[in-house]
Amino acid sequence: MTLQLTPDQVAFLQGPVSMNIGAVGRDGWPCVCRAHGCVVARDRRSLTVWLSAQRGKNMLDALDAGSAVTLVVSRPATHATLQLKAGSATRVAVSATHKLASARCVAAFGAELDALNYGAQMSALVTAALPADHLVGLRLAPEVVFDQTPGPQSGKVLAGTLRTRA
Amino acid sequence: MNIPLESLRPCLDGAMPAVVATAAPDGTPNVAYVSQVHFVDAQHVALSFQFFSKTRENVLAHPYAEVQVIEPGSFRHYRLRIQYLRTETAGPLFEYMRAQLAGIAAKTGMDKVFVLRGADIYRVLDIENVDPQLQPAPPLPDALLALRRAFDHLGACDDLALLADRALAALAHGFGIRHALLAMLDAKLDAAPGAPGSALYTLASQGYPVSGVGAEVALGEGLIGVAAQEKIPVRINHRTPDYTYHAALRVADPALPRIPLPVLANPHSQIAVPLVHGDRLLGVLYAESEHDAFFSPTDEDALVVYGRHLAALIDRIAALPDDEAAPGALPAATQSGAPLAVRYFAHDHSVFIDNDYLIKGVAGSILWALLNEHAAHGRREFSNRELRRDPRLPLPDFADNLETRLILLQRRLAERCPDIALEKTGRGRFRLNLARPLALGAA
Repeated sequence: MTLQLTPDQVAFLQGPVSMNIGAVGRDGWPCVCRAHGCVVARDRRSLTVWLSAQRGKNMLDALDAGSAVTLVVSRPATHATLQLKAGSATRVAVSATHKLASARCVAAFGAELDALNYGAQMSALVTAALPADHLVGLRLAPEVVFDQTPGPQSGKVLAGTLRTRA
Repeated sequence: MNIPLESLRPCLDGAMPAVVATAAPDGTPNVAYVSQVHFVDAQHVALSFQFFSKTRENVLAHPYAEVQVIEPGSFRHYRLRIQYLRTETAGPLFEYMRAQLAGIAAKTGMDKVFVLRGADIYRVLDIENVDPQLQPAPPLPDALLALRRAFDHLGACDDLALLADRALAALAHGFGIRHALLAMLDAKLDAAPGAPGSALYTLASQGYPVSGVGAEVALGEGLIGVAAQEKIPVRINHRTPDYTYHAALRVADPALPRIPLPVLANPHSQIAVPLVHGDRLLGVLYAESEHDAFFSPTDEDALVVYGRHLAALIDRIAALPDDEAAPGALPAATQSGAPLAVRYFAHDHSVFIDNDYLIKGVAGSILWALLNEHAAHGRREFSNRELRRDPRLPLPDFADNLETRLILLQRRLAERCPDIALEKTGRGRFRLNLARPLALGAA
């Protein structure tokens, strides 16, 4: 059963955040890949996340094989972190608008790292590492949202039906 | 593995957080941030275990995970397939990771949140370079060349006091290190080295407004104490209140006479390297910087080698025979002025001059013995050999470090009471010079 993200969660997901997506491959190995941003649907019940086709090959194989999917999103400046889980993800076409949105997400993330003094010209490095070409779009409808911000509340279910800890 | 794990050490230094993916028994994936992925050896890494989490639950049930790390200077990603083996909750690796995590936590404003519960050890099964098309990070400064420059500056040396000073000066020449100190192990008088109650005392320092010679650090206290207790190098890349000595000194008993360590108030990088010869700990070399991440992993390697070399030199100098012939006696310098009040407290061998704390422990008892010999017999010439045989001195039977204690005493007198001086007159021989009369009193 899908849930509806709150407006705050939507704003957070589309802010200056670090994103990583996870799945489990056919061989049982978990896999992880950095995502290049996302856009949340108007009804707030699904989102489309982008990743590099080349960097995410194992991820895409796992999802094609029917793996469940998890998306972890963290804001470097505050460490506020959400984990969203869904039973599956479907591939969607990447439009020119999507590419622009991805580039904006990546630029915002890089600027955040620069502001936090993560190293000289980090935003340029981030932009070079996460280009908006050769992207794959994955649409997922979150079934559960966990607060994964470091601290005693980490693992708390914010919305959804699962009872396990994140 | 086609990529050596050693080549990823810049990614495993806590500069950028990693993420780890695990799988629940039902196949549900989980991804979580991990503050620390620590290089253990060519086949193993350790992940910081800070919270009871789904990651932990998953790896205990299904020990296979994938961790993604980032090279800070390039933003290249690497993915490591790893297998959970065990968790360590004490010992050298745990202490190292705890110190590093304190730095990471302070840098990221999480010092009240990040607490290390354990070091989770994983075997690395495979490494993937996710971004082969990206330029690698610029190479780190050549630590081997820095080490060679430091050795060149150190040169040959048969005098321990000179060696201590040169060893610190060579760090500036080799590594650009401006703030450093050398602390020697001072075993508890009735216990083996490293036993509870043991401490280290500062023999020499460089780059501070005051020398801090004689300042003590308890075993396990701060970075120097941890390096000594565990006999490991410890390096912190960021400023953290958890491992600064000023905090420790504030809570110390104000009634105890203590010489403050001459350290920076807010170091942004710290490294402590044990001076080990064979399996014997002689002391700790400590260095710090006002800059974040000043010491690289390869600097740590080079300084470990440097520390072992220093320990071997110290051990060699200690084994050199004393000079046989006593120097010709010189007429005593004229004493003038009001008498110095010298008070001795036998319970801790502390010595106060005109009510100012000077020194305690073995060095304090040596000074008291010398001053009494001079008062009773007018003697000024002394030898290390007779001190070793003097039953009044609480020297341990093993590795008495007498020479380092004499250097400590000599330097402390020069700083705090130049009217009493110890002058080296040969190997294992020295002269007591007094510029003022003394009034001795034991409490």
